[in-house]
Amino acid sequence: MANSERASIGADAGLIKRLLRSNETMILLVLLMLIAFFTVMNKAYLSYFNMTNILLAASTIGLLAIGETYLIIAGHIDLASASVAALFGTLVAILINAGVPWPIAALAVVLASASVGLINGCLVNVFGLQPFIATLAVSSVCSGLAFIICKGKSVPVNEEMFIKFGTMRIASIPFPAILLIVFFLIFGFILSRTVFGRSVYMVGGNPTAARLAGINPKRISTILYINSAMIAAFAGVLMTAKMHSGQPGGGTGAEFDAITAAILGGVAFSGGKGNLGGCFIGLLIMQCFNNGLSVINVSAFWQIVAKGLILIVALILDFFRKKRHAI
Amino acid sequence: MGNYVEFKNISKAFADGLALDNVSFRADGGEVCALLGENGAGKSTLLKILSGAHRASSGEYSINGEKVVFGSPNEAIRYGISVIYQERQLVGDLTVTENVFMEDLYRNKLGVVDFKKSHGEMKELIDLFRMPFSPQDKVNTLSVAHQQMVEIMKAYRRNSTVIAFDEPTAALSDPEIDVLFSLIEKFKQEGKVILYVSHRMNEIFRITDKIIILKDGCFVDEVRTADAVEDELVLKMVGRSIGDVFSTLSRNDEYGEVVLEAKCLQNQYVKDVSFTLRKGEVLSFAGLVGAGRSETVRAIFGADRLDAGEILIDGKIKRIKNPRSAICAGIGLCPEDRKEQGLVLERSIGENLTIPILRDLAQLGVIRRRSERRLVNQAVGRQRIKTNSVDKVVMELSGGNQQKVILGRWLLANLKVLILDEPTKGIDVGTKAEIYQMICDLAKMGLGVIFISSELPEVVNVSDRVIVMREGRISGELKREELSEERILRLAMRER
Repeated sequence: MANSERASIGADAGLIKRLLRSNETMILLVLLMLIAFFTVMNKAYLSYFNMTNILLAASTIGLLAIGETYLIIAGHIDLASASVAALFGTLVAILINAGVPWPIAALAVVLASASVGLINGCLVNVFGLQPFIATLAVSSVCSGLAFIICKGKSVPVNEEMFIKFGTMRIASIPFPAILLIVFFLIFGFILSRTVFGRSVYMVGGNPTAARLAGINPKRISTILYINSAMIAAFAGVLMTAKMHSGQPGGGTGAEFDAITAAILGGVAFSGGKGNLGGCFIGLLIMQCFNNGLSVINVSAFWQIVAKGLILIVALILDFFRKKRHAI
Repeated sequence: MGNYVEFKNISKAFADGLALDNVSFRADGGEVCALLGENGAGKSTLLKILSGAHRASSGEYSINGEKVVFGSPNEAIRYGISVIYQERQLVGDLTVTENVFMEDLYRNKLGVVDFKKSHGEMKELIDLFRMPFSPQDKVNTLSVAHQQMVEIMKAYRRNSTVIAFDEPTAALSDPEIDVLFSLIEKFKQEGKVILYVSHRMNEIFRITDKIIILKDGCFVDEVRTADAVEDELVLKMVGRSIGDVFSTLSRNDEYGEVVLEAKCLQNQYVKDVSFTLRKGEVLSFAGLVGAGRSETVRAIFGADRLDAGEILIDGKIKRIKNPRSAICAGIGLCPEDRKEQGLVLERSIGENLTIPILRDLAQLGVIRRRSERRLVNQAVGRQRIKTNSVDKVVMELSGGNQQKVILGRWLLANLKVLILDEPTKGIDVGTKAEIYQMICDLAKMGLGVIFISSELPEVVNVSDRVIVMREGRISGELKREELSEERILRLAMRER
């Protein structure tokens, strides 16, 4: 009875209301409004060059956001991702300077980063720590190690091919931006179309039920922590190539930007809901907003305030989504 | 003079029905009053109303002639009512003294806790109870039985006028029971009102003075214990009319060879459980709550660890270490609590249906969506799940339809053995009938079905064989032609 009533209300509702009901449409509208606003303020905003720059700026956070989205959907979180990026980004610079060929150095650090993910997974699944606390502690360890291995100074890299990897453009699109899109497509496909992706949703929605239906929640979440760490290390390598140096303090707080992007895009903290398409739009909203503030000459300090406000808005949206569902 | 508690026309409605229906009786001080009834008869609800944890939907109760309404358990405690529940309400990391005294530990002039004085008084209390632990022991280092005694000490120290016990002896051994009973005797002489809930008949005959019998939330009878006869009591507890639901049931009468054999299963909940299940047979596990029924099937399904024992499927030993390996061996489980353990409520019907078989629906890990869709639509049709779309989230379905989703999930999985743990709990009568028929149909298809229910009429009318459990062990087995509610209850409640 109640269901049929609700269904009829849904059928009677206007087009706008139904569009508003779809989360992706709503945030896509927000994105378009943002772009329109900044374009009115400054025509240069919508230029091809600026738009590709926004994508370039989004590449590090965007990669981290992929790992975070998977984890948040599964009911976990990784606060260590930015520190992992800094640690392995610095390490790759040191290795290259020590004469290791750059593809091997890059591959080695990405593989090595799996150990950090495994540690996170063990802390949460074997020792039963809260994901928030466990990964926060690991984040501190990685961040400290990043400074120790380079004695606190950034590590310049001169290997030309490696730098090209981070700075070249194809059809004047920055290579990291292309990588970002490719990653989103691949991981989006895995999440929405594979058995593994489906398991991630089930584990996040109800781990007990998932286990009793034959899924191993601990295995899934451990894989996701490893996945998050490896993507983060890859993002760190890319960051080093982009900036011509390994920065031990680089990307501080990027994990929060990544989480903000995911939440803005409709990934629910309660687990089991959201997708990478939404996360990508959330990411673009954040970057378009940051870039727009620069374009209209808002000071960098106000940009930090604005970032906090975006997170609050994102969480309030999350609250309303949940409430709408609860009714 | 003389304390008494009087219930007048108490009713309590929950979302899924009446838990208490117009119950009236009076319990006097200086007497032990037993509350007797099956699981779900309303005893616990009554105690919760007494303690202020629930509020009655209608009716009133009075203490010593004064009408009382409690907003919270704390108010009731301050009024002098202590209810000792089966689940202990202790803080494990605190000492015995801290748990018993709680907010009224002795303090010195500066407001600092005077542990010496508090522990001193606690020591006296422990001696009175003849317990071997010390006031400084942390509660979580004590045995379950001793924790139960700490709980009773709490009530004792409050010096309540009304004390209710909800199955206090479930965790106790004989010497502790003796201590408890001598205390109850003491309370009685002090003129306190004592309510006593237990399934153990001999205890009821040993310490109670009168017996209130409840059934399906209704008051049935009040008898003096001295005049009571055990068989008559049991009959009054279960004697209810069974609807036509069961007469139209089309049952399976042909069994095949043994499909599941359990040998000496043992873990922290169950002891030495062995049984066999044939193809086409509906085997029930009966017993009181906590007798080890759910724990047995959880162990078979790999949800709980087994310390010892073997599980054979089609005569071959299967190592079942988790639900996944159980499913691979051909066993499925519809868990006791479908919302907490069975379903991913915020995901769609389709997704919930295909979880266990997803791997078979995939090529190189990628789900073949068209075949998934086809299977899901078939299952929704076959199970008669009422919905306009298979993409609807399960949360929006009724309880009965949710249960059908879980059943449908296992029908897709090509099983040999299906375990149903309380599949009809909180489900309306119409859907219940559908589920009974589904159970019989499953048996006709040649599955071995294990069925657990606390509703005895279901057990009697759907099962081919019943294994009765008590305190983690099998206490008896009844064949279809021997089945009756009285026989099952007797096996479930008989003393060691």
